[in-house]
Amino acid sequence: MSPTTEAHLRAPGLRAWMTLTGAEVRMVVRDTAGLLIPVGLPLLILVMNALGETDHVLPGTGGRTVLDIYVLPLVLTMVIAVIGVVNMPSFLAYYRRTGVLRRLAVTPAHPSMVLVAQVLTSLLQAAVGIGLALTVAVVGFGANLPARPGVALALGLLAAAAMYALGVLVAAVAPSGNAAVAMGLVLFFGMGATGGMFGPTTNLPDGVARVGEVLPFGATVEVLGTAWAGGGIDATPVLALAATTLVCSAVGARFFRWQ
Amino acid sequence: MSAIEMHDLHKTYRSTTAVAGVSLTVPEGSIMGLVGRNGAGKTTTVEITAGLREPDRGRVSVLGLDPRRDRRAVRQVLGVQLQESQLHSALTALELVTLYRSLYRSGLGPAAALEAVGLGRSAGTRFEKLSGGQQQRLSIALAIIGRPRVVILDELTTGLDPEARREVWGLVDGLRADGVTVLLVSHHMDEVERLCDQVALLDAGRVASTGSPATIVARAALPQRVRFDAEHGLDAALLRALPEVEEVEVRGRGVVVRGRGDLERAVSTSLTRHGVVVTGASVERPTLEDAFLALTGRQAGPDTEVDR
Repeated sequence: MSPTTEAHLRAPGLRAWMTLTGAEVRMVVRDTAGLLIPVGLPLLILVMNALGETDHVLPGTGGRTVLDIYVLPLVLTMVIAVIGVVNMPSFLAYYRRTGVLRRLAVTPAHPSMVLVAQVLTSLLQAAVGIGLALTVAVVGFGANLPARPGVALALGLLAAAAMYALGVLVAAVAPSGNAAVAMGLVLFFGMGATGGMFGPTTNLPDGVARVGEVLPFGATVEVLGTAWAGGGIDATPVLALAATTLVCSAVGARFFRWQ
Repeated sequence: MSAIEMHDLHKTYRSTTAVAGVSLTVPEGSIMGLVGRNGAGKTTTVEITAGLREPDRGRVSVLGLDPRRDRRAVRQVLGVQLQESQLHSALTALELVTLYRSLYRSGLGPAAALEAVGLGRSAGTRFEKLSGGQQQRLSIALAIIGRPRVVILDELTTGLDPEARREVWGLVDGLRADGVTVLLVSHHMDEVERLCDQVALLDAGRVASTGSPATIVARAALPQRVRFDAEHGLDAALLRALPEVEEVEVRGRGVVVRGRGDLERAVSTSLTRHGVVVTGASVERPTLEDAFLALTGRQAGPDTEVDR
């Protein structure tokens, strides 16, 4: 049989993609310490905030409170951002440093397989983190679900796509594992600071607040808040998230290195 | 048809020239050993062949395919065992073999592949918990999981105990029996002498010598020794007269003859002709390791640092 027969030219099939994703999920589940920050930290912030005066009902939101409109979107954004911008790039950078990616590079696996498996795994992690945070908020502190659940879900997915694209870009350009973690953390806290993680963005200088609003963190807090309140969604943050997704994933895939 | 063809490969990293004009042909179904001291260009040559690096100049083909341009097709037929490559640390041996098997169109059964490298009992052990030798065997299982037609094995038995080495050698013999072509990078001359049909000796980024292990040993023209006991003593001058002989040492009945070329035959012919009765004859031939040292003028073995 000639090596150039058609069977050899086909890329690995769906089974391979699922097996690789399953492998990545196992890696995360077995690395229990790695789950602490993306699941535990947002939960802590949720509880600390919810213990304060957050049951104040905001007018024009169908009875929704400060907890619903401000705290919950912020917490969910943190879950998505930590996983996408910090955890995933550090996993990829670790794989590159230890030669895991180099080994995969000499198999029929395509780089996109590795990236997609990472993104799917991260989505699963985010789903667990968000599910837990929502359950605690609703059951423990009487929070309300979003006024437009479908819109909230769609926007949440868009936000996740933007954060992961950014994470892929970090993983692609970071020269080392340490650099990837450092870049991820700087991005996370930088975007968080300008996007309302440490207090209302109205306290920030106007220019800084403007930039923070269109960065993935600020844009996500904004659109999720709106989805909870039930008002019309502003186009600017949605477009910002879409643009981040497209640009970062294209550049990330272009500069992705196996070794 | 040749399985691997390298033509005039060149590769320079910044100011260091790793490979400077390597040309090499590995016939299909044969085992080619790639030897040379650290920094001789072995790893770079292998990385170019595996498609991990692009040569600055020159061409390489694997079964007629370009490892980079025809990446997808080459990956299905070329198995690679890399030096110092980790795997997903928290996955078990069986999970890893299953994962790598899923990447290929066809191949061995995951459990059977583990059995083949003697890891049947460690199927449920995580990679990080396997011993160095077990990790090495697992990486060999992964190299052959897709039933490749060409396999690159880089430092195959480094870190294995003598028994495990022999088992792994058996695996390589099995590959040869299946008609698989093997490019074997090694520091261990005994391994190369035992397994390889052909040897290419790299020195300073060039092929210094190629041929069968015996040819290379012969080319080094190193002295050999013939030892025997002469029942009734021996006149050393008899042997000193032979052109092959350089030195004769007689201690009582024991005789040691040092020389070059076809020493054994020259000595035995002469002894027979002169009616000398001989017992306990043995020949000490130079090994590939001796030839390696003579041809490169330096030490073999992993004594210096990085190979690039």
